[in-house]
Formats: sequence, structure tokens, C-alpha cells
Amino acid sequence: MNRPVRRALRSDPYRLVRLGAWSVAETAPALVIGLAIARAIDEGFAAGRPGVGFAWLAVLGGAWLVAAVGARQVVMAVAAIVEPFREDLLAHVVEGALQRSTTSGRGPGTGAVARSNLQVELARDAFASVITVVRSFVFTVVSVMLGLTTLIPEVLVLVLPPFVVGLGLFLLSLPALARRQRAFIMADEHTAESLTDMVGGLRDITACRAEDRVAATVGLQVAEQARVTRSLARVTALRTVSLAVGGWLPVLLVLAGTPWLISRGAGAGVILGALAYITQSLAPALGNLVEGLGISGVRLRVSLNRILHSEDLPRRPAGRSPSKGTSRGAGVELRGVTFAYGPHAEPVIDDLHLSVPEGDHIAVVGPSGIGKSTLAALVTGMLRPHSGQILVGGVPAEELHPAGRTLIPQEAYVFRGSLMENLTYLAQAPAAAVDGAVAAVGLTALVTRLGGYSAEIHSGMLSPGERQLIALARAYLAPARLVILDEATCHLDPAAEARAEEAFIRRGGTLLVIAHRLTSALRARRILVMDGTSVRLGGHEEMLAVSPLYADLVGRWNPSNTQELVP
Amino acid sequence: MRTADRLVVQTVRRGGPWLGVLAVTSVIGAFAELALPLVLGRTVDSLVAAGPEGGSWLGACAAIVILAVLCDTLGVWASGSSSAQASAWLRNRIARHVLGVGQAMTRRFSEGDLATRMGVNAEEAGRAPESIVTGATLIIPTAGSIVALTLIDFWLTLTLVVGLVLIALVLRAFLQVSTSIAGDYQEAQSDIAARLVDALAGARTIAVAGTADQERARVLTALPRLRLHAMEMWRANARAGVQAGIVVPLLEVAVLAVGGLRLAAGDLTVGELYSAARYVVLGAGLGAALGYVNRLARARAAAGRITELIAERPRAYGGQPLPAGPGTLELRGVSADGLADVDLVVPGGYAVAVVGRSGTGKSLLAALAGRLVDPLRGTVSLDGVPLPRLSPEALRHAVGYAFERPALIGGTIAGAIGLGLDRPDPETVRAAARAACADTFVRRLPLGYDTPLDEAPMSGGERQRIGLARAFAHGERLLILDDATSSLDTVTERQVGRALAGELHGRTRLIVAHRAATAAAADRVIWLDGGRVRAYDSHHALWRDPCYRAVFQAGAP
Repeated sequence: MNRPVRRALRSDPYRLVRLGAWSVAETAPALVIGLAIARAIDEGFAAGRPGVGFAWLAVLGGAWLVAAVGARQVVMAVAAIVEPFREDLLAHVVEGALQRSTTSGRGPGTGAVARSNLQVELARDAFASVITVVRSFVFTVVSVMLGLTTLIPEVLVLVLPPFVVGLGLFLLSLPALARRQRAFIMADEHTAESLTDMVGGLRDITACRAEDRVAATVGLQVAEQARVTRSLARVTALRTVSLAVGGWLPVLLVLAGTPWLISRGAGAGVILGALAYITQSLAPALGNLVEGLGISGVRLRVSLNRILHSEDLPRRPAGRSPSKGTSRGAGVELRGVTFAYGPHAEPVIDDLHLSVPEGDHIAVVGPSGIGKSTLAALVTGMLRPHSGQILVGGVPAEELHPAGRTLIPQEAYVFRGSLMENLTYLAQAPAAAVDGAVAAVGLTALVTRLGGYSAEIHSGMLSPGERQLIALARAYLAPARLVILDEATCHLDPAAEARAEEAFIRRGGTLLVIAHRLTSALRARRILVMDGTSVRLGGHEEMLAVSPLYADLVGRWNPSNTQELVP
Repeated sequence: MRTADRLVVQTVRRGGPWLGVLAVTSVIGAFAELALPLVLGRTVDSLVAAGPEGGSWLGACAAIVILAVLCDTLGVWASGSSSAQASAWLRNRIARHVLGVGQAMTRRFSEGDLATRMGVNAEEAGRAPESIVTGATLIIPTAGSIVALTLIDFWLTLTLVVGLVLIALVLRAFLQVSTSIAGDYQEAQSDIAARLVDALAGARTIAVAGTADQERARVLTALPRLRLHAMEMWRANARAGVQAGIVVPLLEVAVLAVGGLRLAAGDLTVGELYSAARYVVLGAGLGAALGYVNRLARARAAAGRITELIAERPRAYGGQPLPAGPGTLELRGVSADGLADVDLVVPGGYAVAVVGRSGTGKSLLAALAGRLVDPLRGTVSLDGVPLPRLSPEALRHAVGYAFERPALIGGTIAGAIGLGLDRPDPETVRAAARAACADTFVRRLPLGYDTPLDEAPMSGGERQRIGLARAFAHGERLLILDDATSSLDTVTERQVGRALAGELHGRTRLIVAHRAATAAAADRVIWLDGGRVRAYDSHHALWRDPCYRAVFQAGAP
């Protein structure tokens, strides 16, 4: 899980060098503050030479100005590290989401996308904060130690041991703090989720009179969050102890050791200088480290975990190397195919044998959820059967080149881009061919309305039916010899559906239509009826005789009342 | 806003004993913090002078440091605990209230808005007690430092005040810049999100075409733009942070310079110079104190937003059970916003279709019939009992609702079907699912009925069938189907229709329908037109009226 962090830190060593160089500038005051104050007092003001005092204070002021420039550059140097890090994570999120949805057909929803974008943002901010804090701590501690050594080396004996103990105490408490902080973040997210679910289901909760039940469920989550918050507050409170030991104890020890230090030649200014080093530089650096690691460090881990979680999901099915499978023809052959969505789930397709010669036109009929889309996914090689074999033109379905077959699903894909880009998504085509496809599927009116092929489109500006027409024209242009329409015309009216289907019949090749309306079956050469108990294939008359479901459907269908056909 | 303040006061009370602990530790801690620079300065002076009271000053230092640390520790603990308690109390209260009001809530507030008010705003309002205490006590060291500084030298105070004004100006300038940059930045971000959502919706197309890599690049088109705006934000951030960060140290240097002169003149001791320098840093913390005032203002605003939710009146239930009966539904003089003077009786066991052009109040009638909403005037009764008199238990078992887009909650598939029921037995759930034609596809899910809802993404038609099953499991006497079969394909709809006419035959059914066939299959039809009942008769009798036939033609897409 630290891979993106490591990648971000190692990818460009120059960035780190730059960050280090500016950090030296940024921590200049930590190096000179005590020294400047000590000299300004001891050799300047207290010695009756205000000019010298001003000179030393000018050095201190100058150090602060250098630090300001350094701090600004440090922010930019940190940004130069965390922005590529964010891009890395974002690419990972996009790739993971695409991969999950293309392998399973079930992708994360809009909400999940928003959540992972938020996690990426949080991870970037947390990473920036961790880099800033850890780096600042290291440079400050080194600067302060150098400064103290220059001032009066004996003081290190008084400062270093308690500081190290305080730091150690904090590092010891870090795992417990991290656990609580993590639990806090998770509880917060769970509460938000359960509240969102509740708000989205208010009507249904009232309808089921489940108000008390849901209030109790939400209440449990809220109580858990409060418990976790209290527990975090307890541990957070304890970390002030490490700050006290690391930041305040050195102050007291320096004061206690003042007579000794004076006996070693220190003036009042040196004591003040030492105190300034501790209270102005060392203690704040420790405090920031405690805050930074305790909160941002944990936030970073949690967010990274969440983002990289998608790596556990199944990779693309192995062995699908689209280059090798050039099919001979476009006939489809299923031999004893069985498929289920889980080891304990009932099979959706059970021992199916089917032979579709090239050029055939088949309509698949059956209630939704019976496995029609699963059958389509199997034929296109998107799903692999648990047993049996599926051949397209003699080649196993999952090895067939993507250009060999095409499937248009119910939810047509229209992306942000020009209409032409959308139409030639599957294959480049000359303008005349595009015109032909547009006319064939009945898209001409839309092209005119949009103002030509160069019009920029996105899915929100088109109706579901218009999106389907674009997907149909796109598939029409594709070189594929096997076309599967998986309820691809369900948002079109019956006349437009007929026109589109007839275009594909004229186009040639093997056509498999998963029917949304019965009329699609009447246009097909043969009909495959799936009724849950059996799968039968035959002509219209034959199916009327052997399939009660089909006969029932046709019997109910009354050509004089077209209402029946309109969902 | 007065009610909002009352809510803040109530919340403060709910903070419990922790709030008292926080108040006490904050005040003591604040005084310790204020005293520390002075005492440290005196200690240095007496130790350097090797005076006799050096030891006692050192002891005082140690005592004050320990006191400050203890107060800090307890304060952090107490503030976390009190705001956790206050937020939890607020959240529970709002959740119960919102549930009590029900869907009416979403008419005034969008879902996202509601979730924000219950989540973030409750959190902010819950911090009110802590903000009040911490903000109030922060005045002690900051204002105190300025007083202490003034006692040492008035000109130092003046320098400090000028510096604070500078900081305020810088921060304001930053806020103005960052909002416009943030807008561009968010725009680039949402471009990526929108493209990803598009691509995910087209996942099957992409999978079949084998173009996932191409899509990845397309989704990330805005990445360079995002980097550009992000770097601008970092730059603005850096500028403001550096400008604000340089002011206090430069002030301190200035104070040291002025104090140094007075030291040279013998008017100031070394210890006093140290104290002055520390008081500059402490006094600059006034900015943080102002931040707490701002936080309190936010908590108050959040409480105001929550009060708006609580202003909605929740629905009250009666305590009566439902007497035995056939499920006769009676609407007498019922009017609601969008429906007027509905007067009709649906005999027990009847199937009645509700038809009409869109916007004529079909869904409203359905909502009134099972007390999803209450009418403004008139009464709705089931088997002679007005619905508001019925207990929630009676309603839960008597009335079942199915919707066009059901929201499924309850953890698992079985939980969603049996939502609200006391220990629903698996057979009831399965029978309901079978009647809704959902059993087959549910059994094919990885864990069948125990599949968690978020691991079972379903199509619109599948969700509708789970919603139907839920209605069948609940409505033992009255089933209300509000366009609940619109996403089902012809075959499935036919099967559900068969179940409604068959095993669910004994229940009274109110079916909002768009198709003539559904109306034809019903015993009677309620024809709504312009927010009134135009006719209540059989489909056969109504079909002669061309206006009635036109209802169905207009409904076709």
C-alpha cells in the first residue's frame, strides 16, 4: 500500500533535493534565533552597545525573511511531489472502476465515484501535510542542535535527553492513536452513509412503518461514532504528556541548570537564547509532528487503503489475447454451457446447446432476469462458462478479436466528444459510410438537430432513445460479422425499433436480438425462448406449438391494440 | 434565530458534566498560560542575579507548567467527549424527527441537503458548547498578554495591534483569490468525475469493444488542467501563509529591538524582555480567539439549519388495532394539495385501477389511500377505522406500498422485503418474492436472499420486483401499486399481473396504471382529471368515452 508514496518520492530525486535545499532556508530562524538573541543582549544591549544589538536583531529579522522565501518554495516543492502522487491515485481509481465494471458488468455508481474522488483529495492533502511536518521536524531539530552547540554546548545535556524521551513517548503512543483515529474516520463515514440511505428511503420507510426500526439502526451507528470519538479524545489527551516531556521539561531543566551554565561562562542572553531555541523552535516542531503524524499520517493510510482496495478485485480474465482469434465466419456454437454468478448461486444457464449458423437472425424471448443478457455476455466472451464451450466462427468466444463481434447493450454509451468521434468509436469510416449508417438506423433527424457531425455532445443532452440511435449507428459502421442487440432499442418507439432492426437485417452477418417487445421476435427467422425451466429454439409456428410461455405471449398480443406493445 | 439559540442552549446542556470539566480546566489553563512568561522572566532574572529566591521562582515555574499541561490534557479529553455527546444527541433527535415527518421532508429539502444538515451541521452545532468555552477562555491569555505588554511598554502594544490588522488584511485577500481558483479547480475535477460516470454507464460497450485503455485516457483528459489549477491554489496558499507567518516573528524582532533599547537604558530587565517577547506571540493568538467566535457563529448557523428541519410537524399515530374486515377503503370528502373532493368506496377485495394524464394526482391519491400523506380535509378509512387512529403496527401489516422506483433499505435482500416487520419468517419473504417474480433472480445472487443490498446491484426491473415483494409481504389487506410495474418487460408484467389476480386475489388492490390492459383487468377504474375524480366505473363502460381512450394514447411515449 505504500507503493504510490514510494513512487512519488523516488520518481524524481531532483524534487527531493530542491525540497531539501529550500528546507534549509525555511529553518534558518531555528538555527540563528537563540544565537542572535543571546549576542544581541550579552554583547549589545546589556553591554551598552545598542548598535551591536540591532545588528544581531537584523540578522534574526533577515533569517525570518529568508525563511519566508524558503517556506514559499517549500510549499511549491511539496506540491511538485504530491500533485503527481494525486494523478497517480486518480489514474488508479479510474482504471480500477473501469476494470471492475467492464469485467463484472457491474460498476460502482455515481456515489462511489464521488467517494473515491474525495478519498484521492484527502490522501493528497494528508500526504502533503505528512511531508511538510516530518521534513520540518528533521530540519528544525538539526538546526536547533547546531545552534545550541554554537551557543553553549553544555546545554545539550539539559535539552536533548527529555526531548528524546518525549519523542519516544509519542512514537510509542502512535499505534494506539492511529487505531483510534482510523476507527473515528470509519465511524464518521458509516454514519454519513446510513444517514444518506435513510434520507433516500424516507417514503419507503413510512410506507413500511419502519420509522422506529430505522431510527434504532441509525441510533446504533450514531452511538458507535460517539463512543469512538470519546475514545479518540482520551488518547489524544494523553499525547499532551509527550509534548510536556519533550517541550516543557527542557525549559525547566535549562532554568534549573542556569547557575551551572553561568558558572561555565554563559550570560543572561545565553539563557534567553537557549529558552528561545526550545520554546520558539523545538517545542512547536514536536507539536506539529505529533499533530501531523497522529492525524494526517493516519488519514493518509486510511485513504490509501480505500483507494488501493480495488486491487483485490479480479483482474481481467486471463488468456483473453484478442490478437490471436481471427474467426472463420460468424456462426455461434454453444456446447453444454453452464454458468452461475457464484459457487452457491443457482446456475443461470444450465447445460445449454445451441447452434446458430452464419447469417442467421435469432430473437431471444423470456422474462427479465432469466439470463438473456448473461447469454449475450457469454457469446461475446465477457463471461466465461463454468463448463462447456462457446465458439464464434470456430474460435473460443473469449479469444475472438473484439472487432469480430459487437454488442449494443440497453444502456447506450455516449461520451463527451464530437458526434463523429462517438459514431466512429468502434471503427474509422469514410464520410459516405457514416452517412449511410445514419440514414439506415434513422439518426438523420438528430444529426440535423445537433448541427452536423462536428457537434460536441454529452449524454445529458440526449434522450435515452437518441443515445440508443447513436450506439446503433456506431455498431452498424463496425466491421463485426456478429451483432448482438441486447434490448438495444428499448427506448425507441415501435416504428423506430422496426426501422433499426431492419437496418441490421439488411446489413448482413449473424444477428442476435434480445427482445424487449414481442414484435422483435416476429421479425426474426428463429426464436429462442427462455422461460426459466428450459431453453427452446425454433420458428414462430413451432414455438407456438411447443412453448406455453410463447403461445401465451402471442395470444395476449393483439395487433389491433398497439398499447400492449408500449411499455 | 431565537429557536436556533434555544437549540444551542439545549445542546450545551447535553454536553453533560464534561462541559463543566472543560470550563474549569480552560479557565485555569488560560491563567496558567498568561502567568507563565512573567514567571519565567522573573525566574531568569533571579537565577542570573543568583538571588536567594531563585529556587522558589523555579518551583513556581514547574508548578505552573504542570498545571497548564494537566489542564490541557483534561481539556482535550473533555472537549472531545462533550462534543461527541452533544452531536450524538442532536443526530438522534433529528433522525427521529425526520423519520417522523417522512417524505414531506424531501419536498422542502433536497436529499443531499438533508444528509448534510444531519451530518456536518449536527457536528458543527455539537461543537457549540466547546466553542463557547474555548473561545471565551482564549480571551484571557490573549487580552491578558496585551495588558501585560502595555504594562511593560505602551509602544510595544501599538506595534502588536498594527501587526494584527496586517494579518487580517492578508487573510481576507487570500479568501478572495482562492474562491475563483477553487471554482476552476472544481470544474476540472468534476469533468473527470463526469467522464468516469459516463464510461461506467457504458461499461458493457467498452468491455465488448476492448477499449478500456482508450477510455482511461479519455476520462483523464482534464488531468493537466487539474494540475495547473491545483498548482495555482498551492501558490496562493503559499503566498498567504508566508505573508501571515512572517508578521508575528517580525513583530517579535521589533519588540526585542525596542525592549533592547530600554534594557540598555536600564529600564527593563533581561527577564522582562523575555516576557515581552513571549507576550507578543501570545497576544497574536487573538486571531485564533476570533477564529473561535467564527466557529461559534458557524455552530449557531448550523443550529439554525437544524431548527428548520425540526419546524416540520411529524405525523402522529393512533393506538387502535384494525378490526377484522375485507379491506374496504373509504375516502370521504378528501382534499389535498393537488386533489379535491374525492368521495368513493373501494369494496374489500376489489382491484381498482387509477388512471389519468400525468400530473392529475394519481400518485397523490395512492399516497392518501395508505396514509403516506394525510389529507388537508376529509377522512380516509380502512374497514371503518380512520387511518390516523390506527397504530403503526396495524398499518404496517394491513397496507403494502410498491413504487416505480423503490428505495431498498434493510441490509440484505430478505431484510429489504421484510423491512419493519418483526422477525419476518423466511417463507413469508420467499412467498412474497415468488408472487413478485423475484424469487428466481434472487436465488441466483451469490448469497441468495442473504446477499447484502450493496453487493447486489440490480436493474430497474429487478428493483421494482423486490419493491413489489416488499408490498406483498406487508399489505395483508390493502395493496397500493404506484406505477410499480413500469420497468418490467411484457413477460414479467404478465406474470405479476397473474399473481395479483390469483394468490393475492383476496386483498384490496389500488393500482396506478398507464396501460389500458391493466385498467381492463381491474374490477373498477378511478379516472382522475384535473385533480378531481372524473368517473369511477368499469373500464368497459368508460371505454366508450373518447376522452377516456385518449388518456391511454397520450400516455404512450
